[in-house]
Amino acid sequence: MADSREPPPLFNDDDDSHKDDDNDDLFTSAVQSPVSELTTPEEPRRQEGLGDPLTSPSPAASPTPDPPSDSHAGNPTDLFESVGEPPVGGLSSVSLESPTGGEGTQQELPSDPDTTLVDAPCVESANMSSFDAPVEDAGTTGVTGSDDVVGTAESVDQSSPPANSTSDSVPATSEVLIESSVATQELADTDLSLHDSPTFLGDGDTTEICLDDNAKEVSLDDEVDDSALFNATSAPKLQLSQDVPEPPVPASSILPPMGAPLTPPVAPITPTVTPNLTPNVTPAAPAPVTPLPAVRQSPEELEAESGDEFIEIQVSDPQKIGEGMSSYMAYKVTTKTNITYFRKKNWSVTRRFSDFLGLHGKLVEKHLHSGRIIPPAPEKSAIGTTKIKLGSDKTAESGSQDFIEKRRASLERYMNRTGAHPTLRADPDFREFIELDAELPRATQTSALSSAGVLRLFNRVGETVNKMTFKMDESDQWFEEKTQQIESLDAQLRKLHLAMEGLVAYRRELAVSTASFAKSAAILSSVEEHSALSRALHQLAESTERTHTIHHAQADADFYYLSEITKDYIQLIGAVKDVFHERVKTFQTWQHAQSMLAKKREAKAKAELAGRMDKVQQAQEEVAEWEVKVERSQEEFDRISRAIKKEVDRFDVVRVKDFKDMLVKYLEALMTSQQQIIKVWETFMPEAKAIA
Amino acid sequence: MLEIARLDGMEEVLHSETNGTKSGRSDTVDLNDNSLQVDISDALSEREKVKFTVHTKTTLADYAKPEFSVVRQHEEFIWLHDRFEENEDYAGYIIPPPPPRPDFDASREKLQKLGEGEGSMTKEEFNKMKQELEAEYLATFKKTVAMHEVFLTRLAQHSVFRTDHNFKVFLEYEQDLSVRTKNKKEKVEGLFKSFNKSTDELLLAATQKDVDDYFEKEKGFLLEYHTAIKDTTTKADKMTQAHKSVADSYIKLSTGLSQLGTIEGPRLEKFINKVADTFEKARKVEGRVSSDEDLKLSDTLRYYVRDGSAAKDLLYRRLRCLANYEQANKNLDRARAKNKDVHAAELAQQNACEKFELITNKAKEELVDFKGRRVAAFRKNLIELAELELKHAKAQAQLLKNCLQALQEE
Repeated sequence: MADSREPPPLFNDDDDSHKDDDNDDLFTSAVQSPVSELTTPEEPRRQEGLGDPLTSPSPAASPTPDPPSDSHAGNPTDLFESVGEPPVGGLSSVSLESPTGGEGTQQELPSDPDTTLVDAPCVESANMSSFDAPVEDAGTTGVTGSDDVVGTAESVDQSSPPANSTSDSVPATSEVLIESSVATQELADTDLSLHDSPTFLGDGDTTEICLDDNAKEVSLDDEVDDSALFNATSAPKLQLSQDVPEPPVPASSILPPMGAPLTPPVAPITPTVTPNLTPNVTPAAPAPVTPLPAVRQSPEELEAESGDEFIEIQVSDPQKIGEGMSSYMAYKVTTKTNITYFRKKNWSVTRRFSDFLGLHGKLVEKHLHSGRIIPPAPEKSAIGTTKIKLGSDKTAESGSQDFIEKRRASLERYMNRTGAHPTLRADPDFREFIELDAELPRATQTSALSSAGVLRLFNRVGETVNKMTFKMDESDQWFEEKTQQIESLDAQLRKLHLAMEGLVAYRRELAVSTASFAKSAAILSSVEEHSALSRALHQLAESTERTHTIHHAQADADFYYLSEITKDYIQLIGAVKDVFHERVKTFQTWQHAQSMLAKKREAKAKAELAGRMDKVQQAQEEVAEWEVKVERSQEEFDRISRAIKKEVDRFDVVRVKDFKDMLVKYLEALMTSQQQIIKVWETFMPEAKAIA
Repeated sequence: MLEIARLDGMEEVLHSETNGTKSGRSDTVDLNDNSLQVDISDALSEREKVKFTVHTKTTLADYAKPEFSVVRQHEEFIWLHDRFEENEDYAGYIIPPPPPRPDFDASREKLQKLGEGEGSMTKEEFNKMKQELEAEYLATFKKTVAMHEVFLTRLAQHSVFRTDHNFKVFLEYEQDLSVRTKNKKEKVEGLFKSFNKSTDELLLAATQKDVDDYFEKEKGFLLEYHTAIKDTTTKADKMTQAHKSVADSYIKLSTGLSQLGTIEGPRLEKFINKVADTFEKARKVEGRVSSDEDLKLSDTLRYYVRDGSAAKDLLYRRLRCLANYEQANKNLDRARAKNKDVHAAELAQQNACEKFELITNKAKEELVDFKGRRVAAFRKNLIELAELELKHAKAQAQLLKNCLQALQEE
């Protein structure tokens, strides 16, 4: 991975790597300026809706109003998504480095605060107008999303209220331009998203809903920033003048309710470009600038917001398909959601077990490197599966029934965990998995015995060795503490899981022994010659038979509510560790780059001392190259660190909630059991008293 | 020897505990005749031995004092039982089954296991487990005491047995009865005897036709009943043991949870601690369910396994008498045919007849008594079982409800 990134200079890397940062930044900065506020509400959506793939194509898509260009733009995205370029989707942006280079933008950053002259509304207007010119620029130069730009955009936002669109200072204008270009890019994005949605959906009938959502999701994404950057540098003043008259559209496009009506210029495009898209998009009213009330978008609120969205995935009806060793289990995956980028609110598809594993593999490939905690998929169990495969489906013994149910339940939990993650659920592969009403291409890499499996095994061994041998000096206290906490959590959960397994085993034993007591008591009652005592013993047998059922159900509750969830968390913690390890790897890359840089510098110094100018020249180049690499890997490291912090925070919140839910649910089950037991003995009591 | 020391340390506790429960137990014995009251007022566990203080209160003139206590060991109880069983005069009676040998091996073994696993658990967990084991040991101890007491009270209640000389000696003689445990020869003899007895029993059961339908029926019933109740007892024991294991596994769950709470920190700690606390309480309730099931259900069943066995022995003795009587009849016929030793044969036949009739009448009474006793015991214990089950289930449901409420308020 790291290698693949190396060749493209700075920008490419950034665009993919900084996505998360942007989000973070936006969160924090959101409060300050109206513009950013406008953007913030989309934040979560953007994360969801806009997978990495989207970022890359955007530059290609020239956000010009012309339909043809748009269609071009659309196609690449489609390709991207359908192909499902794994982790590098973002990276693909490589080719499109902006001529300006990252430095330019970064330099701007400091200057922004001084300029401060941009006003939200005017910016918006700028967007509108920029529509024509800057967009083209963006299109032609094909700047990819470099996130640095975002930084600038934000700084602009934060800069200050006294907005003067006609500010004299050049930097100010450039900023405005940035903004405008951002907006245009938004438009472009929306277009893109329009294209995207159909591809996601797989079939032609797209509903407006998808459209809107995508539109909403897109807006201020990374690519936007890139283009902005580009504009800022390349096409400075022209737009400014144009901006003023135009109605400020972006606000409308951003606002959720108004999501449907995209900005006017876009609207006309859509019908032509993507005929299958509903025309509803078009009636875009040039919405009045509705300065959103300054809403503080704290993480909690974000959470609450995402709380309104729900996605509930049910895995049901396990079904054996085929015969013998080539048979497999298929499950019905039913999704209920109110998330708007899904076509329907309620639907189901059929998936086989390896599809689930395949999905997990794809998600890991795509998202692990950016520091996301990917919920682990259920383990493959060769024994259990073989048993089922060989057993005829009609006479499936209870053992394999248990196995199937256990697996079904864990698949369901796995799906819901993945679905609960705002980014993962928006991933095209995830969406395809739950939406595409057809068989997925066979995931070949999941089989433990396949060559890929062996390869994976080797990789894993390598990773473990690496983990064991490389000890990183932790400079970040947060990580130091978290790593430790995760370790002790891991140990404790394992211990707890053992205790729970013990409980399950004992309770099962209790259920079994109670049942056999009931049988034996029934025999005793038939032997007993005293009729009343015999009747009472018979009742005792029945009562214990009923308590057997209660114990049995309780054992299941012990297992499914406690033990399995705890086990899931042990695995999830493994995923957290993976993410931490991913960070260590980036750190290693950075360290490596640094040492290389030091070497090159040394070489340069030597060459200089030796007075060999030709070599100095070459060394200078190398030094520059490695400087860039160091910078990039450091940025990468910072990015993943930040991303992980966010992810782990989310993990912490979700875990605490899950644990609370789990315990409450379990205690409720226990209570129900006890209440049932009360009933059993209440019915028995008169029988005992009737013995005379 | 670590565990021995621990058990020794427990003696003090046991000492007082048995005193505390004594009154409760003697209450349950329905004495329609208060002329001889026997109970075990105290018991002391000393290494392998258990010393029971047998306390007697009497109005019978045979006894020198109205109230006295002696110290007896398990072997002396067995000796007493054997004297009753040997006595031909008591052939027509169901001899109260002897109390089972005090058996703390299981507890000791568990304690040893716990000691071995000490390193692998937290101190808190270890202490709880230890406490649990000690409680278990205590329960076994109390049960042993109770069973020895039941043996004595049944003798004391019995109109014939209570006047037995050996019984009087057992209760009154202040010195050690110097009953030695059977030596090897005696043991082998005993084994041989019991082997003989059981083959004889089988033979008789197969060959001897009973003249009395009632006994024929009773015999069938008791045989079947014995098998059934024995099986039920084993199953009940397994059930209570499993229940105990469930209760014990709550310990690990509870400590595991509270440790997790410490790691999780303030977000979850309070919440989890409440739950852990609830599990800790629930464990105690579950443990009590287990021990009460054991006490009310398994022990009742167990007792009637032994009592049924004693009744079976009675039937065997009667059948033996019957066989003897028939043999005497045959002998008499033969003697008459030969006209030789007719008188002696007649005497023997008459003797056998009398004996048989006596035993038959007595046995009938005893069997009716056995049935009545059994039904009453089952009634009482089943009602108590249901009450306790209800009580515990309600307590636990309430406990969980309170916990859930507390959690909701969080």
